[in-house]
Amino acid sequence: MSLQDLATTLSDTRLAIELTDSTWLFGTIEAVHVLALTLVFGSIAVVDLRLLGLWRKDATIPALLHELLPITWGAFALAAVTGITMIFANPFGYFENFFFKAKLVLLLLAGINVLVFHRFVLPRATSAQALAPRISGGVSLVLWLTIVSFGRWIGFTI
Amino acid sequence: MEILADFATWLAATPVAALVTSRGWIVPAIQVVHIIAIAAVVISVAQINRNAVRTRAGAPDISLTLRQWLPVAYIAVGILAVSGALLIASEPGRALFRTVFWVKIALIIAALALTRAHGAAALRARLGWHRVLAAGSVLLWVGVVFAGRWIAYADGWPGAPA
Repeated sequence: MSLQDLATTLSDTRLAIELTDSTWLFGTIEAVHVLALTLVFGSIAVVDLRLLGLWRKDATIPALLHELLPITWGAFALAAVTGITMIFANPFGYFENFFFKAKLVLLLLAGINVLVFHRFVLPRATSAQALAPRISGGVSLVLWLTIVSFGRWIGFTI
Repeated sequence: MEILADFATWLAATPVAALVTSRGWIVPAIQVVHIIAIAAVVISVAQINRNAVRTRAGAPDISLTLRQWLPVAYIAVGILAVSGALLIASEPGRALFRTVFWVKIALIIAALALTRAHGAAALRARLGWHRVLAAGSVLLWVGVVFAGRWIAYADGWPGAPA
């Protein structure tokens, strides 16, 4: 099944029709998406700034992760559900949009960064001078800033 | 409305309006800054609320949480005011003439007042009020985000400048 077929399938669904007919549904889902992504970005940025050694040095990295990861995952799930829902409103437009496709690739890279962090970086993050946590935090911050930017750019280019 | 229309006309003629509309990427870039600052407010308010709800009355750590996060929220609100003003300057005939924009301003004033009251209550160790103040400020800030996103979709008042 090609992307074109998938777009056709999505645009034929009841959800797609509801989204394009309703005057308030898309905006509401988008507002929830904004709220969710601000929680995702905000919670990740706090951890990244800590990894970079720039903020919250009062807390250990595991303590900060314990405090913030539930917010990150809960909000990410909400952002994913609302994000996928928005695709139904204009599947052809999104699938042809450069910033949409690039955002998906960046999300994949951010996911890989999370896996690398938990598998390799966190177990070795024992000293304050360690370089790997700083690199991990910097990569994450740049990735998520770009993801948020590309998300906003979709709205101007679709 | 007439004063507002005059203000919008004046604003549209300022160098700031000319600058922010001079390149297509400037407005979305300001919006990204605005969203990042919203993220700072939202995570601050979420953290304060969460600790307020968790903390048993009399526990000390809520005032630490407030000391840690309130400055972040206030600095972010300052960035939001500046970036928001630039966004209005980019299209003066838009936000000012939509009811939802003024609802948003009212919600911001209420949310700031409640957040301040929360900080003050913490200083005076009136911990019993934390949950009410925390829940109230979270709801108000969520309302601010919704109203903000809704500016893009609301109809302008009849007779608003184009």
